[in-house]
Amino acid sequence: MADHAATHAVHDPNIGNTGLDNRKMGMWAFLGSDCMFFGSLIGTYLAYKGKSISGPGPHDVFDIPLTSYSAALLLASSLTMVLALSHLQHNRVKSAARWLLVTALLGAHFVGNQVYEFTTFALHHGLTLSTSLFGSSFFVLTGFHGAHVTGGVIWLLILVGLAWRGQIDARDYTKVEIAGLYWHFVDIVWIAIFTVIYLIP
Amino acid sequence: MANQHAAAATTHGDGGGHATVRTYINVAIMLAIITAVEVATLYVPGIPNWLLVSGLLVMSAIKFFLVVGFFMHLRYDHPILRALFVGPLIIAIAIIMAVMALFSAFLLLPRHVL
Amino acid sequence: MATQAAFMPGSKVQTETFWGTVWSWLTTVDHKRIGILYGTSAFIFFLVGGIEALIMRLQLARPDNTLVGAERFNELFTMHGTTMIFLGVMPLSAAFFNYMIPLMIGARDVAFPRLNALSYWIFLSGALFLNSSWLFGLAPDGGWFGYANLTSSQFSPRHTIDFWMLGLQILGVSSMLAGFNFLVTIINMRAPGMTLMRMPVFVWMSFVTQFLLVLAFPAITVGLILLMFDRFFGTLFYAPAAGGDPLLWQHLFWIFGHPEVYILILPAMGIVSEVLPTFARKPLFGAPVVIYSGIMIGFFGFGVWSHHMFAVGMGPVADSAFSITTMLIAVPTGVKILNWIGTLWGGTIRFRTPLYFALGFIAMFTMGGLSGVMHASPPVDLQQTDSYFVVAHFHYVLFGGSIFGLFGGIYYWWPKITGKLLDERLGLWHFWLMMIGFNVTFFPQHYLGLIGMPRRIYTYAPDLGWNFWNLVSTIGSFLIAVSLLFFIANVVRTMRSGQVAGSDPWDARTLEWAIPSPPPVYNFARVPHVHDRDDFWLQKHGDGHGSAPRPKPAPVTAAEIAAIHMPSTSYWPLLLALAMTVMISGLMISMYQVIVGGLLTLYLMYKFAMELHRPAEGHGH
Repeated sequence: MADHAATHAVHDPNIGNTGLDNRKMGMWAFLGSDCMFFGSLIGTYLAYKGKSISGPGPHDVFDIPLTSYSAALLLASSLTMVLALSHLQHNRVKSAARWLLVTALLGAHFVGNQVYEFTTFALHHGLTLSTSLFGSSFFVLTGFHGAHVTGGVIWLLILVGLAWRGQIDARDYTKVEIAGLYWHFVDIVWIAIFTVIYLIP
Repeated sequence: MANQHAAAATTHGDGGGHATVRTYINVAIMLAIITAVEVATLYVPGIPNWLLVSGLLVMSAIKFFLVVGFFMHLRYDHPILRALFVGPLIIAIAIIMAVMALFSAFLLLPRHVL
Repeated sequence: MATQAAFMPGSKVQTETFWGTVWSWLTTVDHKRIGILYGTSAFIFFLVGGIEALIMRLQLARPDNTLVGAERFNELFTMHGTTMIFLGVMPLSAAFFNYMIPLMIGARDVAFPRLNALSYWIFLSGALFLNSSWLFGLAPDGGWFGYANLTSSQFSPRHTIDFWMLGLQILGVSSMLAGFNFLVTIINMRAPGMTLMRMPVFVWMSFVTQFLLVLAFPAITVGLILLMFDRFFGTLFYAPAAGGDPLLWQHLFWIFGHPEVYILILPAMGIVSEVLPTFARKPLFGAPVVIYSGIMIGFFGFGVWSHHMFAVGMGPVADSAFSITTMLIAVPTGVKILNWIGTLWGGTIRFRTPLYFALGFIAMFTMGGLSGVMHASPPVDLQQTDSYFVVAHFHYVLFGGSIFGLFGGIYYWWPKITGKLLDERLGLWHFWLMMIGFNVTFFPQHYLGLIGMPRRIYTYAPDLGWNFWNLVSTIGSFLIAVSLLFFIANVVRTMRSGQVAGSDPWDARTLEWAIPSPPPVYNFARVPHVHDRDDFWLQKHGDGHGSAPRPKPAPVTAAEIAAIHMPSTSYWPLLLALAMTVMISGLMISMYQVIVGGLLTLYLMYKFAMELHRPAEGHGH
């Protein structure tokens, strides 16, 4: 395996002695670290759950149908992401670009729903960052998740643009793969947030 | 050169196999079904709290591992990548639980609201 | 667009002009140069932190002193701690990660050379940003641990805390990026035959440290984000009036803070694990056990954090749980100490400066560890906490431990980095003056703490019985300063007229000694094939069991060297680091700065990523 990898190293400097691409490994290490980041935010939310002394509570404001729809959007976007990668693997760049665009649009729709949700909470329910512990911890946790999604959408749109201009093909599989890993991670964080924050009473 | 790289792209890191499009669609369908069941569980009348909470946690964990294992390909990947993710995940979960305990915020036991 | 630096491996870099040289350092992606940048910067900030300490010691030399007032004293201890930890010990360790890890694993560079440069420039920006607070009269004054809710905008309305909070965020990004880089490097860039268990122990300790970096910093990142939102956007995370709990800060901080102290000590332990075998001419005793102990320390280090909070009222269950885990973690540490002693036992000892510092490490760190284990008992800690006893403890482990270990590394690897040997006599003057000065400074502080002197006080009454030992402690601190003058003199003299070192002046064991001093830009003309731990030693001396020495490989050809491709220099890391600092510092200045800095950051991230996309076809369209 070491010799096989050594031969590959001559061709592709990104492949190391494990046979894995450095960038893919780096992305997984980053995602592990991001687990700690979101873990700290979720821990904060749970530590303060039920301890607000005033203001609306979670079940006064949560719109479960809308949030469930948003969760479905992200799950669907994970599917479209792997479909895009599958096309790219077979060098069908235009199809890959189309599926990447769908993924980005689904993500953008998710963020749009979140903006709607935030403004509804603020304007209709009087829940803002400074209203209560619930307001603070909810907006910061979901806001940072939304920021991660937004970053992912920008990344995907850049990839779509590069693909349309013929600057991406099957050779760049790993680069798009790591964008996919980031995207799926953002999805699984939402799986955790959706259940622990929205569904569990 | 492009062919060599394209071929390399499909074999590197794909240790023990590769999910097909069929698999992905099946996983997506399962994710949708589980999400629907999760939401429906909220509306079951008279469901005891402990059952609701543990059920939701189990279902979300299944979704989590479906996405990580199949969409993120970790099921087929080199064990090192699994270690790089699962190790930190375990530490993060342990710390969440420790913080919850330190702040008396257990999910499964009734809490005293101020 | 990447400048294709006209670099032929084996020839001198063509940078005759002064500004050409400066530019080559600003755009370097060579791990060795980045290591030198880290080391030089770290030493300068170490001196800055030292001056902050000397001023504090002068103020405390006598009771009711008026050299500095209370406010200034708060700034001094805050900046001394923050500087020594984040701008002193950590970057000094980073200097060795950068320079040595690729050499010790037989690699030509790290996994992500430009990201490596980015880490350094972000570090420097953060360090300068943090210290610029002095110039504005806004030096942070909330302690290096910034407890809430003293740090709230209500109780700290000026920008002092913002400098600290945002400075740490910037530094955190630098550390995490470097952590990812070295994790991938160590896992994926090892030479053929270099299995994980054949890696030098310094690489192993650094490996564990990288995991700690990437897993601990997110916790303080979140803690600081919550503080930032409280200060700038009116959230209530640490606001008691709204039900917020200042303890949340303490938990998040120490969930980071405890692994952080292992980040500070493990690299020095790794250095000691390299120095002792070399100067005892014996392999490290029980190397696998030392490695497993390091792994255990790293992993269980995440389970002890609330031992910094025994006095806050967590209750007996929490206190007991963390007390037990803390006592348990002393075990692997003790195992390592025994293994180091076992390494020396029966060895052929050559006393050189690096060995002195390694021996000093063992003695001083053991003392610090003993006082630490005392803190592990909550009832005992209730007397010791917030007293000078704790100050004594952590200086024994951080100075007596980390700094001594790092100086051992400096003396040990100086010949490899510069090609010259540091002078032994000056080195010994440095060591002995520092050893004596250090103990004179900090040993009395155990006593001062136990007779009741609290931490972080700017003065004290004359009738408490503290006068004499405070004066002694201050004298010790100036002895430390004098010892550093010997080190600086040694460096200056060596650069001018030092003894040439050759590739292997110590007859050492690991791969970095198999190449010239200083190494060529490509490190290894031919990537080594490794057959064992301490492979280089075995090549030189055989395994002592009479097996035939390995056949000498054919000499390296010019064609082999010409075929080596090293990455080009790049200015994107420097620019991106500046943009990020503009963005983050804007949070305390104006939202426009944040937006402009943010857009610039996004744009530069794009350029950084695209720099190497399709290089063979010219620049991206």
